[in-house]
Amino acid sequence: MGRQKNEPPPALKSPLETSSQERARAANLGSVAKGRLKLYDPQVDNVRKFLDLLGRKINRPLALSFAACVHCGLCAESCHYALARPDDPTMTPAYKADQIRRIFKRHKDWTGRIIPWWVHARYPRDDADLNLLKNIVFGACSACRRCTLNCPMGVDTAALVRFTRGLLTELGIVPEGIFNVNRDQWETGNQMAVTEEDYLETIAWVREELESETGIRGIEIPVDRADCDFLYVINPREIKFDPRSLGDAARIFHLAGEKWTLPKWGWDMTNYGLFSGDDSLGAYIAENVYQAAARLRSGRIVISECGHGYRSTRWEGYNWAGRDQTVPTESVVITLVRYLRQGRIKVDSAKNPEPVTFHDSCNIARSGDLVEEPRWVLRRVCADFREMEPHGRENFCCTGGGGLLSTPEYRSLRLEAAKIKAEQLQATGAKLVCTMCHNCVDGLADVIKHYRLNLKVVQILELVSRALASGNVQS
Amino acid sequence: MSPFLRVLENEVQIVALLFLASVYVFRILWILRFEPTRERTQPAGSKREGIAYSLLNISMPWSMEALRKKPGFYIQFLIFHLGVTAAIAASFIIPYRPELFRTKAVVLLFQIIIGAAFVVGLVRLRRRLRNPAVRLISTPDDYFSLILMILYFAAAVLAVPNRFPPAEWALILFFGLTAFFLVYVPFSKISHYLYYPFARYVLGKTLGHRGVFPIKEVKEETAFGPPEK
Repeated sequence: MGRQKNEPPPALKSPLETSSQERARAANLGSVAKGRLKLYDPQVDNVRKFLDLLGRKINRPLALSFAACVHCGLCAESCHYALARPDDPTMTPAYKADQIRRIFKRHKDWTGRIIPWWVHARYPRDDADLNLLKNIVFGACSACRRCTLNCPMGVDTAALVRFTRGLLTELGIVPEGIFNVNRDQWETGNQMAVTEEDYLETIAWVREELESETGIRGIEIPVDRADCDFLYVINPREIKFDPRSLGDAARIFHLAGEKWTLPKWGWDMTNYGLFSGDDSLGAYIAENVYQAAARLRSGRIVISECGHGYRSTRWEGYNWAGRDQTVPTESVVITLVRYLRQGRIKVDSAKNPEPVTFHDSCNIARSGDLVEEPRWVLRRVCADFREMEPHGRENFCCTGGGGLLSTPEYRSLRLEAAKIKAEQLQATGAKLVCTMCHNCVDGLADVIKHYRLNLKVVQILELVSRALASGNVQS
Repeated sequence: MSPFLRVLENEVQIVALLFLASVYVFRILWILRFEPTRERTQPAGSKREGIAYSLLNISMPWSMEALRKKPGFYIQFLIFHLGVTAAIAASFIIPYRPELFRTKAVVLLFQIIIGAAFVVGLVRLRRRLRNPAVRLISTPDDYFSLILMILYFAAAVLAVPNRFPPAEWALILFFGLTAFFLVYVPFSKISHYLYYPFARYVLGKTLGHRGVFPIKEVKEETAFGPPEK
């Protein structure tokens, strides 16, 4: 029998999987012992704990987002989940936000405390209710902030979703995939549990490959060098799965005559604190980067191509860590703009003849400041650049954001919602879709595979590297 | 004018208004009790511009994709809120500047605006009942507030001619509803207008600082290239 109209997707019935948590408990991991990584305990009153946390952690912007919704339902017009499942009202962002809003109302709002039924205010009854909440906030929203920008009242539903995730993470009521990455970041300082040995070996290998591939002698990928112009921080995916990206960056930096370094510790600029809502993890990971920059007296921090990494390191991290920003912190795309402007690298757009379109990462376009810059670079390195519609701040999520790539239990729903992105990509007629986010690379690749699109995902560094003209000499 | 209507138009309204004002003071204090956030990063944009853009956003329907897709929704919003403004204005004009409503054109203008808002109210109620997504998120308060507004518009249309005794019951209904509103509003969704400036201010401040607001179209290439960061 097919799915009934209006029936919530099966993904929202996913049970709480705790086997990884059990293993972490049995291994008595340092992060567990120190109380950093929280585990689920069915014996305690989790509802009570949830309410206590809610009362303690709520701030003014969140309280306003809770209070200001007028239930107009306009947000459904902007959410890719709601657009892809028009017959399912549970995909409306206001409905998702209402699942936590009703608890807020019951706990904090006058009317909700006195006549709860009048405003649909309700406490969660038990852990099963909290698990349902987990499935909604982790499984049916990529926190792309599209609804936020389309809300006439200024309700930041994405912020409410992240807040709820944070409360649930404190209780260990969290998807297993998210838990595992949280654990790895707490334990190893990077989200893919790359050891220092692997990190250094891969860097050495990338350098050798680069030299033999390009024939350029003396290319360096320095680690822990003090007093450089900038500290370059990367996504662990660049060490584990896609070292080409680091190689492209090293090649460009070399040709631009840059004095740069990677840190030995604090090199992971990705941050699952953003996705899990755990501000303490967010602060820990971001602080690793900031401390590395201070230790090495770097002039600035340059963040490799990563949407949530950029948002976490450039914006949220300083606030989580309670540290005033003193060191300029920028995306590598800004660095590329500088090189091109100053003529430090020369590019030939004819080297990228295929039609290219650009996908904006939500964390960069809607929670950050970069929309024009990547396009400025792409117009110089590609012969045929074309916009997708909508684009810029209004672009749709790659559908893998918000940690959804780590949660296989929600994959079917995610790919169903990806219909919107697939149609958007197909309409461009491009052969390459470029993005400045490693997470979006995987998200888009999934969409392309699922919907059998004739497209390949590339990144800006890759296209710039390909477009480097023969006139470039080592500065 | 009957003594009952005189008291209802004056003393009762003043007491109800004072009640509303005092509850709003508590509401604002309640909001301010929540910890504000502090931005520690260097700006990429202007907080001031972001706040201005965010607060004026409602006058720029083109700035929101959802409203560009549904212009009818925005027109309804305008008519409905113009009707609210006109009805509230009428509740002050009738007792304090009744001569204004001796001009037939003014009465007619008010009746047209409020009457249109009444129709929009009915359309909105229909949407709330028929659209599954909106129905699912609607609370009894949402329905009650909307029905109350529709009734209020109807009463206001009948009351603005300000004629008694032939239509004193309309005035009693209008001022009775006004007084009820003033007491009920702070506990209902209708108080969204109180939160609106705060919510938009906070969002504008954050996104203005980050250079997201004011939202600009992605520009075509210029000789100056992208802005300096």
